[in-house]
Amino acid sequence: MADCNVAATTAAGAQAELTPDDFRVVGFTQEEANRIDRPTISYWADAWRRLRKNPVAMGALVVLGLLCIMVIVGPYMRGYSLLDMNTADRNLGPSAEYWFGTDSLGRDLFSRVWMGARASVIIALVATAVKLVFGTLYGAIMAHFGGWVDDLMMRFIEVINSLPNLLLVILIMMVLGNNLFALLVALSITAWCNTARQVRGMIKQLKESEYVYAAEVLGASPLRIILKHYVPNMISILILDASTAIPNFIFTEAGLSFLGIGLTSPEISLGVLISMGQQTLDFYPSQLLFPCLILCIIVMAFNLLGDGLRDALDPKLRD
Amino acid sequence: MVKYTIRRFFEMILTLFLIATATFFLLEAVPGDPLTERANKLPVETRAQLYERYGLDRPMMERYVTQMVNMAQGDFGESFVYAGQTVEGLLHDRLPVSARLGIQQMLLGVTVGLGLGILAATKRGRLPDYLVVGLSVLLISIPHFVLGLLLQKVFAGELRIFPSIGWPSGSQLWFGGWQYTVLPTLTGCFTYVATYSRLLKSSMLDVVNQDYVLTAESKGLSRAQVVRRHILRNSFIPVMTQLPMSVAMCITGSFFIESIFAIPGIGQYFVTSVNNQDLSIVLGLTVFLSLIYIVVLFITDILYALVDPRISMPGSESR
Amino acid sequence: MAESPTILKVRDLRVSYHTYAGEVKAVRGVSFDVERGRAIAIVGESGCGKSVTAKAIMGLIKGPQGEIKQGSEILYNGENILDYTSKQWQAYRGDDCAIIFQDALAALNPTMRVGKQIMENLIAHRHMSKDEARAEAIEMLRRVGIPEPEKRFKQYPHQFSGGMRQRVMIAIAFACDPDLLICDEPTTALDVTIQSQILDIIKDLQREHNTSVIMITHDLGVVANIAQTIAVMYSGVIVERGTSEDIFYRARHPYTWALIESVPRLDLKNKQELASIPGMPPDLLNPPVGCPFSTRCKYCMAICKEKMPAFTDFGNGHTAACWLHHPMAPKVDMPDHDSPTTVAPATGAAPAATDGAPTEKEVSR
Repeated sequence: MADCNVAATTAAGAQAELTPDDFRVVGFTQEEANRIDRPTISYWADAWRRLRKNPVAMGALVVLGLLCIMVIVGPYMRGYSLLDMNTADRNLGPSAEYWFGTDSLGRDLFSRVWMGARASVIIALVATAVKLVFGTLYGAIMAHFGGWVDDLMMRFIEVINSLPNLLLVILIMMVLGNNLFALLVALSITAWCNTARQVRGMIKQLKESEYVYAAEVLGASPLRIILKHYVPNMISILILDASTAIPNFIFTEAGLSFLGIGLTSPEISLGVLISMGQQTLDFYPSQLLFPCLILCIIVMAFNLLGDGLRDALDPKLRD
Repeated sequence: MVKYTIRRFFEMILTLFLIATATFFLLEAVPGDPLTERANKLPVETRAQLYERYGLDRPMMERYVTQMVNMAQGDFGESFVYAGQTVEGLLHDRLPVSARLGIQQMLLGVTVGLGLGILAATKRGRLPDYLVVGLSVLLISIPHFVLGLLLQKVFAGELRIFPSIGWPSGSQLWFGGWQYTVLPTLTGCFTYVATYSRLLKSSMLDVVNQDYVLTAESKGLSRAQVVRRHILRNSFIPVMTQLPMSVAMCITGSFFIESIFAIPGIGQYFVTSVNNQDLSIVLGLTVFLSLIYIVVLFITDILYALVDPRISMPGSESR
Repeated sequence: MAESPTILKVRDLRVSYHTYAGEVKAVRGVSFDVERGRAIAIVGESGCGKSVTAKAIMGLIKGPQGEIKQGSEILYNGENILDYTSKQWQAYRGDDCAIIFQDALAALNPTMRVGKQIMENLIAHRHMSKDEARAEAIEMLRRVGIPEPEKRFKQYPHQFSGGMRQRVMIAIAFACDPDLLICDEPTTALDVTIQSQILDIIKDLQREHNTSVIMITHDLGVVANIAQTIAVMYSGVIVERGTSEDIFYRARHPYTWALIESVPRLDLKNKQELASIPGMPPDLLNPPVGCPFSTRCKYCMAICKEKMPAFTDFGNGHTAACWLHHPMAPKVDMPDHDSPTTVAPATGAAPAATDGAPTEKEVSR
């Protein structure tokens, strides 16, 4: 190999000032060789970062915050009674006095719409909570026991899912009557199936995944495995599930009232207000318009936030 | 494949039986007696006759067995409220109405939705994409009944372009009388537009990143050829899973649309029966609507295997 | 067009990917030539930019994430393909230049019959009728050694074994008799026994059609009897280039030495531990200012961390970018194959790092 004399390099001129000291061998260190420049970002920090960069989702979050405030203070802002009739001010259009106008019994629509929104949102939140808790337990039991327990419980879900959703909801409402409890039962009774399926799938997949197996082999305690692997996956499934469930429940509640099967006056919910507004639609459209508008804004804000969350929480989309 | 189909068929029968049983006992739990109202108007001696006629004088289990046997023979029962009104008669009169509405809205909605989905995916990040995404979020955030009322108010009430209620009958049952069908069809189709455009777009974006699309491009195919031959077909596979949901939407959507536009279809009658507590009709219609839904689930499974050659039916010997 | 001996010239190719963390400079100024009818191998670890280079030549770098930097040139028969219109790209891809991907299962359309995937190519470029294309596609399947091609023609990719699928990919690539073939790790996903069969098919077809080949691999063993020229890539740059003899017997870059040492050998008598390169390649989000290998090089000198070394020419097209070849540098020779890691640097203590934690040769970014 001695024939290969070092030829002049193209950049030789620029290196004239190099000193022999530059050529002392320093080798490398283990830390340097293994250094990872890219900051390691935790799953949640990364999800939050991506959500924050999504202007639509952040807009939806702000709108939801405002709605939250309005749902709390809105019914009392104008100081009108929610239920007492006022025959002098019936069927008024929007004005400085009555911002959204009044209904056929002369009640302030602004106060009533926010009260109705409060009821609808609370119903949706409670139904979602029931769905998530029951669905998670059911799914975890299926995945944990497996075998015939799993088969049987899965078959039960399949039977429930063989009915169009709203059909079953209506049947339950019919049996239990038009009251709040019946509504909550009816809304939750089919909704948990989806949660249970997803939780079951996630646990089964993790149970068989190589990285959980690796963690077990390396001696990680069961608690650590649950905290490190199951909980984060579970939470992201549940967040996404909730973000689609809430607007769906709000829809269903309103729909049932509209069909005359859900809550009825004197209860106040968006559904009740919409079905009342529908009766006077031909003459006083504003009585339908405002409850509908608030309903659509709430649902849209939840949907947009849900879309943003889906993008943010999907690990496939990292990088 | 044949073996699989036969197994699925028996599962279908079992599921249907379970649904019928569950519905029967659920409705038995409805407080009060469906005949009370009618019976109260009658002299005492004819009351017993009335109860005997509907078999309500016999114990529950006996009625259950009779009902199941009758339903298995295609006899779904007679209305408690309107004498002589049977479920078969209802289906005969009203099924074509609901079927036409359903087919029209699904055809229109799915076609437009898929078209918009393709547009949004191919023009990703540009104006058409944003328009489609915005439109679909808007559409899924407005409930059926609000949209229906809005269209009715504007196009029938204000502009008087279309009739606000009614449906073609007689010789125009299946074709003709289009002006009556425009608004209901539009109302129903928007959900499909929103669902399918979103679904196809995300599925296409998923497929675009697959290696086989790179292979197709590196063959020197034109963009249109790559989209048509390689992206679309593979993107349709997840879209197929939406089919049963669409039929469920169609069934439950008809409750709202038919009641807004006073369309004499099954959905409207179902809601009326629920409000009248007409239990035998509710039972018959529930079982019938579930039957449709289950059959669709079954067809989807088969279609799925046809579109995606990788899925080999359990119990079949392809490969 | 005058037949110049060089079919493809890549000049100062720079490709970046824009990610959330910033700009990842995947390829940072790569230049090489491909001679007509000959094969060049680009060798390097995962993430060194070799596949990105392949995609750039095929025009498959896609915005908005992927970007080919201004000033890059890829000259195919003297034309800069980076300036091509989409029509020109269509004519170039598949007909002039074809590519074979690593994972044939992912690279074949799962819902299209295998035969049709070959026919597509023929119909697009040869303007054949369907029947002619079918006959030709069956012939191609036979040529790549697929038994019962008429029956296989009608099957779907999932019904093929891994090796058979890669043969289908080769049939697609050779269908229109391309002048240039890019093989992007064509054998990595396959069993060792199948690997050599696949390489033999590629080699035979290459000879038959006088195709130029760019073989991209991380496995020096694969390239030994295919490529006349080898370019060793590290961290988005080519660190050494030469004929296969030069690279295997007279390598000049410490990274090439390390690569050669890490090839498993059957001829070593004693049970020798397989050598690996300690550490991981630098993150291309933030490439080092000096020599990219300096963080893992046991001969690393002070200058290496400060300045990128220029190419030193050893004659006959053999060049390497390493400060060791500067006149002032200590004299270091290529370690002896049979006794690796015995060469001590001329000055300073040998770093204690080589015995560190297990490190993989394949480190994904």
